[in-house]
Amino acid sequence: MQIQKDILLFGYGTFGRQLYKNLRSRGHKVKVVVGLDDYVEVESDSGVDITRINIKRNDDILALNVNAAESIFYCAMNKTANNLFLVLTLKSLYPQANVIANSNSNETTRKLKYAGATSVIDLYEATSRRIVNVLTKPAVSMALDEIVYKQNDLQMLEIELKENTFLEGKYVSEIKFRQMGIILIAIIDKELGYELVFTDHRINHKLDAGDILVIVAKKENISKFQEMLKKG
Amino acid sequence: MEKPKHKLLSFAYFLESSKVYNKIKKFVYDLIENDEYKYKRYFDIFMIFVILSSVTLLVMDVKRHIPHWLDDFDLYFVTTIFVVEYLLRMWVYSDIHKIIIDEYEESSYFDKEVSYYSLFTNIAKNKWAYMVSFSAIIDLIAILPSYRGLRVLRVFVLFRAFKMLRYTKSLTGFLYVLKNKKFELMTLLTLSTFFIFIAGIMLYVFEGDNENPNIHNLFDAFYWALITISTVGYGDIAPVTPEGRIVTMLIIFTGIGLISFVTSIIVSSFNERLSVLREDRVVQEVGKKKKLTVVCGYGLLGRLVVKGLQKEGVEFVIIDRSEEMAAVAYNDGYHAICADATKGTIFEKLGIDDRISHVLCLTSDDIQNAFISVNVKSLNSEVYVTARCSDQEIATKMEYAHVDQVIMPEEVAGMMGAVYAGEPVAFEVLLSIIEEKEKTHINEIAIAEGSFLDNKMIGEVDFERLRLILLGVFKRSEESKLGEFIFNPSDEFVLNAGDNLVCIGYSTAVANLKRKM
Repeated sequence: MQIQKDILLFGYGTFGRQLYKNLRSRGHKVKVVVGLDDYVEVESDSGVDITRINIKRNDDILALNVNAAESIFYCAMNKTANNLFLVLTLKSLYPQANVIANSNSNETTRKLKYAGATSVIDLYEATSRRIVNVLTKPAVSMALDEIVYKQNDLQMLEIELKENTFLEGKYVSEIKFRQMGIILIAIIDKELGYELVFTDHRINHKLDAGDILVIVAKKENISKFQEMLKKG
Repeated sequence: MEKPKHKLLSFAYFLESSKVYNKIKKFVYDLIENDEYKYKRYFDIFMIFVILSSVTLLVMDVKRHIPHWLDDFDLYFVTTIFVVEYLLRMWVYSDIHKIIIDEYEESSYFDKEVSYYSLFTNIAKNKWAYMVSFSAIIDLIAILPSYRGLRVLRVFVLFRAFKMLRYTKSLTGFLYVLKNKKFELMTLLTLSTFFIFIAGIMLYVFEGDNENPNIHNLFDAFYWALITISTVGYGDIAPVTPEGRIVTMLIIFTGIGLISFVTSIIVSSFNERLSVLREDRVVQEVGKKKKLTVVCGYGLLGRLVVKGLQKEGVEFVIIDRSEEMAAVAYNDGYHAICADATKGTIFEKLGIDDRISHVLCLTSDDIQNAFISVNVKSLNSEVYVTARCSDQEIATKMEYAHVDQVIMPEEVAGMMGAVYAGEPVAFEVLLSIIEEKEKTHINEIAIAEGSFLDNKMIGEVDFERLRLILLGVFKRSEESKLGEFIFNPSDEFVLNAGDNLVCIGYSTAVANLKRKM
């Protein structure tokens, strides 16, 4: 169901290691790149594929020989300045590249976005929301723990509709998602120009191939649903 | 000899165990001494009113005589109040019955007779310690003007104005500064007295024998020296001989030096006190809040959290070890204190036993966070502690120390980052609902008793019309407040009061539902 991507992870600090772990657990192929004098803490048996290059040199990056169109670049260096420089370098070498950078404040996010990062992950934003939620919305905080943070039965994921599924041409309201144990949160409708729409708006969409559904469900129901999609 | 002793002892025990007596004493103590007590303010205002009225009468009496009844008011009413206040303060200063009990217990321990002499000297010593304290002396002097025999005692009414210092806390800060720099100020005082003494004698020697018509005696010369050295220089007495003028020039220079010295001492002392004064004020301001959250560390994460708390209307106070960071937080408009959160003092000041409900340890140093968590938990294990951490090993140790929530920013962000790789759309949805960047949020709604949702089945509620997506329900249970999370409950699921709905939707839709409730 998930597409396995080739991933180039720059930086292997605390954040980089967490990212690596999560990416690997989702089955992506990850290649780690670090600077020449970066200190890297690796357990000998972890089997991490680490390359050391001079980040400042274009030749070194080109020598990595990546297929930029198919890969995702993660800039997770410890220093903001390095990340920013890396985003600039990658975007100038591969204008179409998918570059994700980590940031530590709104300030940095603004600069990274300007430099051309496709998406920016704020190290502290989600954490701070989580901390505040525990104080003010304990139920929300626990629900999010169940759905997002804990590794358990419950998952949030996206599903792209292929040609000739049983959903094709049907309206969202006609399908009893809840009875299938699935909660449909958002849709990207091709006909509406790839805009993310949350389903709380009661705009009745017609589903077509190419639409993307974001759902929350238990694993067993997800597999059942996917079986049904395959049958058509 | 035996009997009265026992009487005294039994009376002391009676007081010790009497609830009414202790309650009254506690009330009086709170009223006149305890700054935290809410009715003390009214007492203070009343006393200030009494004092001001007395001073006003003194001033009015200068030009024309005040009516008889006003004089009586001053003589009887004000004096009575002051005397009663004085006695009450002496009363609550210490417990005599405790001294008696201690004395008896000690003597019975050593199998000795109780000596009345030592008993009464102990009591007298104890109360004497109160009577010679600075504020008690002021109080006593303020009572004196009531004795009408001596005219000069009238001026002591102004000591009643001094009494006001007691009732206004800001002024006591100044006295504290003076007390703090006692040694420096005393040295300077001695030095200037010495200069005045020398210069006065010199001028008297040079000009006292009829050279200067204004200098009649040594007092005039000392008066001139003080006026000159303080750079006030009235000019009513001025030196006329060249020798006298040379003395003048010398003491003017000394005077300038002395004055700037005194000023700098007081200013520097105030600066040293400033952070303490600010801390006191913050503690006092947040002191009224019942549920207080303490945020330790005002770094990048601390700032974000504080912003969120502010938005949600949570009462909080920030503690940072660095003076600089505390100042930044203070300038951002928050309650902030520069203090060491690894020590117990600051938490005790803020009320760890009853007021603080949550402590968030958000410094960038894991060990520091663990230290703070342990500190807080050892003070009061009921307080909910959240600690930030970047290392799994340290997280395990924190959990061992019963930290309620250990959160690793890198882990959370790493998880989010990994979602992006395979599922960019789900990632965007996550960002939107977790970071609340868009209008669609995730929110919770508690079902109120007797509301239209109470005792309804899920199938009967049209969430679509409410513009909400129901994710799940926390069913209220006996054991925990929230109970278990039931994801996607079936249509037959019955909602009850106390259950919490977790929904996704516009905040206006949530507010709408809450209003309906």
